[in-house]
Amino acid sequence: MRNARSVFCIFALAVALFAGARVVAHADAAPPSAAELKDATAKAPATATMQAGDPGGSLTGSVNDVPVTDTKAGLTLGDVANQVGQNKIGINFTWTLICGFLVMFMQAGFAMVESGLCRVKNANHTYMMNFFVYSCGLFAYWILGFAIQMGGAAGNGNLGGLQPLASEHTLSLFGKTWGIFGQSGMFLSGHAYDVGVMVIFLFQMVFMDTALTIVTGACAERWKFLTFSVSSVLMGALTYPLFANWAWGGGWLSQLGTNLGLGKGYADFAGSGVVHAVGGLTGLAVALIIGPRIGKFNRDGSGNAIIGHDISAVVIGCFILAFGWFGFNPGSTLGASGAGNLRIGSIAVNTMLAGCTGTFGALLYMWSRKGKPDASMSGNGLLAGLVAITAPSGFVNPTGAAIIGFIAGVLVCVSVMFVENSLKVDDPVGAISVHGTCGLWGVISVGLFADGTSNYGGSWNGVTGSVTGLFYGDASQLVAQLVGVGTLVGFVFAFSYAMNWVLDLVIGQRVSAETEVAGLDLPEMGQLGYPEFVFTPEPEHLMTARKVALAS
Amino acid sequence: MAATTSQGKSLTTFMVGITVAAAGLAYIATGIAKLALVAGLAIIAFALFSFFRIKPLEGPVAEASQPAIMKLAGLALGLGGWLVILFGLHLTPSVTGRMVSTLLGLAITLVGVVVILPMAANKNAIWKA
Repeated sequence: MRNARSVFCIFALAVALFAGARVVAHADAAPPSAAELKDATAKAPATATMQAGDPGGSLTGSVNDVPVTDTKAGLTLGDVANQVGQNKIGINFTWTLICGFLVMFMQAGFAMVESGLCRVKNANHTYMMNFFVYSCGLFAYWILGFAIQMGGAAGNGNLGGLQPLASEHTLSLFGKTWGIFGQSGMFLSGHAYDVGVMVIFLFQMVFMDTALTIVTGACAERWKFLTFSVSSVLMGALTYPLFANWAWGGGWLSQLGTNLGLGKGYADFAGSGVVHAVGGLTGLAVALIIGPRIGKFNRDGSGNAIIGHDISAVVIGCFILAFGWFGFNPGSTLGASGAGNLRIGSIAVNTMLAGCTGTFGALLYMWSRKGKPDASMSGNGLLAGLVAITAPSGFVNPTGAAIIGFIAGVLVCVSVMFVENSLKVDDPVGAISVHGTCGLWGVISVGLFADGTSNYGGSWNGVTGSVTGLFYGDASQLVAQLVGVGTLVGFVFAFSYAMNWVLDLVIGQRVSAETEVAGLDLPEMGQLGYPEFVFTPEPEHLMTARKVALAS
Repeated sequence: MAATTSQGKSLTTFMVGITVAAAGLAYIATGIAKLALVAGLAIIAFALFSFFRIKPLEGPVAEASQPAIMKLAGLALGLGGWLVILFGLHLTPSVTGRMVSTLLGLAITLVGVVVILPMAANKNAIWKA
């Protein structure tokens, strides 16, 4: 009897344990069972219900819209998971593409700003440079530039992995491996014929084109159209992609964190350095080679203001650029879903705040120093703030963004005067200062103001943690940023200068003095920008300078 | 001279050359691609020769000659400063040391870019005449 009771107890205990294990197992298996999925399918609105219309929007979009791989088995958990994954990538594709379209529209803004700041006799030529640079850059980037920049950039989870772009040429130095340039994706052919690659190509292409169009502003009113075309093709194929690879394509600047422990490596969220400083410094290189416009400087070295023909185009162009910047910076997350991408709102606010304080900085500086709230410099102040916040927009808080923008607004005024009065470089639109100087300031500001709260998937450039600047405790990030600045000024500038020097020797960078005096519209483009305009005589100092130039 | 048909033809040749050369590079593993690369480079060279041939037709430009030695010195300083930055990173593991070497390299670079090269550009500037 006693034994029978023991056997019963053991049996009861075993049953209890088995039942308990089943309860635990059931609790672990939280995802819906096949029966639950079937139930959800059954409860979905029927075709007849949908035919009646859905004015409230509560019926459209249901389990019926999830693709089923096996109709016999019906909807499975795998189907649901695949749809969730595709939704994430779909959201990110859509976000990145729309932001890319916004950045493309910035070309119109650049065209208006640059042409508005030039004289009426060069309007067609300046507009056409801004127009044709789009094709020159896009073509060069398609055949070669994209492969150099992004050929080794595989691994971005936001856009589905970009696995076809997995070939980076590397160099071993001091016991470390450094990325030098990408090698896959030329002509977007072969494995690069991929949906994710197409998205990143479009987005990166419009960035590259922004850099190219900056140069046309610095060299406006005297750049030979032929040389401009060749120079733009080479910049889109070589100069820009090379630095962009080092910063964004898995190249050595981005590896400063993993290889040398310098913060999170060179961090340039949307391209103050990659896009704007590259464009501004190339503009400086070509402007140095090409020389100032006839009449810009007097014999004693003092400068003359050569007033643009359409300030309304300048102001509207600035607004178009500010609008496009909402694609530039928030779009650089390359996604709106997953990996900390919900920070897009903060990035957009940082962008608009820096533009605002940049305008204040420039306007107040000019008003205080020169007595008038200068319109063109106010516009440049807006752009300066936007350029400067481009690199730090994803890493700083709104207060930091406002400070960065304000400093950029003042800096652009000081830089414009320095470039003109000290360097004696003629930059008709202030592109060198807006994009070059303030682009470099933007790069440095990451190393100062990054607050360590951004977390894009837990790491940046392969280093765990968030980008943190000097003011928030990480001095090594500032070193990484300064290395980036040194590379921009030391390598990118020198490379651009050498290349354009060769072009000057072979093709000639500048139009003839006769063409320049007549205005570039008719001799270079064959048509005036505004054929019905009545030209007014130019000021005496310009007339005198013309005579000297033509006589020489 | 301004824009002419010769310029248009030369640019067309250049674009064809760069496209053929890039196509050769893209498929370099195949024999025909190597041939395309060579052909593309030859077309580019021909285009550059065409550019050079029509350059004198442009007429006098309001651009003074810039001393090549000064330009080379400016470029050398620019690149030299950059190399100081690169190698300075490997001299010491300390953040302060790397900051100092980076700033030193940057200063050398800036002397080349914003002092020497503008001096070269303005040495014989036409507005001084």
